[in-house]
Amino acid sequence: MGLEQLFTSAFIITWLAASVRLAGPVLLAALGEIFDELGGILNIGIEGTILFGALTSFLISFLIGNAWLGILGAIIVGIISNLFLAWMYITVRANQVVVGIIFNLLALGLTSYTFRAVLGTQARPQKATMIETLDIPILSDLPFFGPVFFSHSIFLYITIVLVFVSGFVLYRTKFGLNLRAVGEHPRAADTAGINVIKMRYIGVMISGAAASLAGAYLVLGQLGIFRDNIVSGRGFIALAIVIFGRWNPYKAALAALVFGAADALQLSLQIFAFKIPPQVLLCLPYFLTILAMSGLMGKAVQPAALLKPYNKN
Amino acid sequence: MMSKASFLERRQTPKESSSVTIFITALAIILALLFGSLLFLPFGVDPFKAYSTMVEMSFGTLRGIGYTLIKATPLIFVGLGTIFAWRSGFFYLGFEGTILIGAAAAVWIALLTDPEGAIGPLPRLLFLLLVFLVSFVAGGIWAGIVGVMRGKFGGNEVILSLMMNFVALFLVNYLVSGPLRAPGDLPQTPRIPQATILDFIIPGTRAHSGILLALFAAIVVWFVLRKTTIGYKQIVAGLSPSAAWYGGINVGNRVILAAFIGGGLGALAGMVEVLGVHFRLLDGLGEGTGFIGIVAALLGKLHSIGVVIASILYAGMEVGADVMQRRSGVPSSVIFVIQSLIVLFILASDILRYYRINLSKLFGNDRGKKTLEVDSST
Repeated sequence: MGLEQLFTSAFIITWLAASVRLAGPVLLAALGEIFDELGGILNIGIEGTILFGALTSFLISFLIGNAWLGILGAIIVGIISNLFLAWMYITVRANQVVVGIIFNLLALGLTSYTFRAVLGTQARPQKATMIETLDIPILSDLPFFGPVFFSHSIFLYITIVLVFVSGFVLYRTKFGLNLRAVGEHPRAADTAGINVIKMRYIGVMISGAAASLAGAYLVLGQLGIFRDNIVSGRGFIALAIVIFGRWNPYKAALAALVFGAADALQLSLQIFAFKIPPQVLLCLPYFLTILAMSGLMGKAVQPAALLKPYNKN
Repeated sequence: MMSKASFLERRQTPKESSSVTIFITALAIILALLFGSLLFLPFGVDPFKAYSTMVEMSFGTLRGIGYTLIKATPLIFVGLGTIFAWRSGFFYLGFEGTILIGAAAAVWIALLTDPEGAIGPLPRLLFLLLVFLVSFVAGGIWAGIVGVMRGKFGGNEVILSLMMNFVALFLVNYLVSGPLRAPGDLPQTPRIPQATILDFIIPGTRAHSGILLALFAAIVVWFVLRKTTIGYKQIVAGLSPSAAWYGGINVGNRVILAAFIGGGLGALAGMVEVLGVHFRLLDGLGEGTGFIGIVAALLGKLHSIGVVIASILYAGMEVGADVMQRRSGVPSSVIFVIQSLIVLFILASDILRYYRINLSKLFGNDRGKKTLEVDSST
């Protein structure tokens, strides 16, 4: 085996491991978003919720020194902030797109403010106590699969488990069936005795918890710091992943990997000073989403009642 | 049967009247300001003093007015783009992208008219006309791509336009770090020629003529939507696509036109930013403006005059907040919170339209059987 070949396989392993790592947080947020979109709510506010989760987990972990409490706090904040969103989407029946984008601005302002109010305006980036990487025994020693899949943050393993849990809940339980019914034909679901409003609230809550946890993942599992707009569009990427994955947790996982791979590839290619502008590769996932959503490749079959508020009367 | 809990009575249909709208809007603004005042307290700043300082700094001095107008200009353009697109039923969210595209196009043209550029210096008026057209058309086509996908193929413009924002971001990132990069450490283009810079219109301030163009555009948008057949068709297509279809209006084409005009207006926001403020293309230009402009448009009830007022108000808040941050250390991000809460509260207060207060029940007095109707208040 020549040195060149070894170098190539090392390159591929590093690249794939980075792909999996970068895919993690957005996949987690996307999994939650699948729940509210299948229930008929397009929650653009997950970008803001991720930001809330990121700040909460950072502050708790930094000030108390316990990362697990940070995660717990993030989930609570995520659920509470999404209770407000759910109320706006479902009870007030405001335009979901409008509420979502304004909520994101609110989150941007409130997190930036809180960060400074707690740590002072001159706050320099400081590291919070992080959740450590966990090499899974035996499996992490496997050639190739070890470094790519089994030597990551605990968050990643939780996310992977949640992919299967989501798949099971959505397609194998009565709850999942009801939720999907509410998103497809709320009137019929209501007639069949399903509480449309309640199901949708639950969907948005799940998405809030997942998005907020994704924020904690980002901060406590990967970056260790907080700064303004640290989420920088990952929530929107999660929305893209949901659509790209056709509202299916397993396909969403693959979609997240595609996004992560493109992101990781441009990082690696930059190191090797390749001729392709890195922006081309960075654009690739967005191009794919645009193509998938354009209607050119057949319509993405979204939940029929998506974006449509339900009025019982 | 009497209970305190039932003093709120639910209406069958929401109450729609201009007095209710004004009441609700005022209530929302006051609530948002009250909430915002809580945020001043940890910094030991008296909220009322803070608000009055902010107003003074943004509207009370000539310098302040200058800064306010500078910040209001791109917001007005984005707001007008929002009006045109959204009124036509095209929920475009891609103004962050069109700002960048418009800015890139304007800088490109401006650099071409450098004495050593491909075109060379142009007469002032000709240059302004050219840069306006190229910027507008570039933004129009950029948004038009999404318009065609929605109008002809049934794509979803909300997600598509959000994705296009990222593509624009990378495109500008590529331009300023590659083909258009100026020598030096920073990824940015060379400064545009002095002759291409917009005139300053108020002596002693940096307010530029872009605001005049923005106000003119506001009048044009108002006129087109309210007084012309094209505008009528756009609005009908937006209000009820199926009715428009039966009335012989091609909804798909209306959507494409909405995208083109909306994107063009959004691009002008980028154009005035580079020709009037930054004088070059750089990463992160106009970040956030594409969304705050939409919020200002919503506060202005998607109405041209409303958008101008809301944009100036929001711009003034930002200027005031910047001064506050320098003086008393209150983070200027407070203002994002207040800006977004105003519109969120207005949206939320819509639910009040479904209720009326029964005062006699509230005070446990039903002798008179008189139900006093307070217009949809709590």
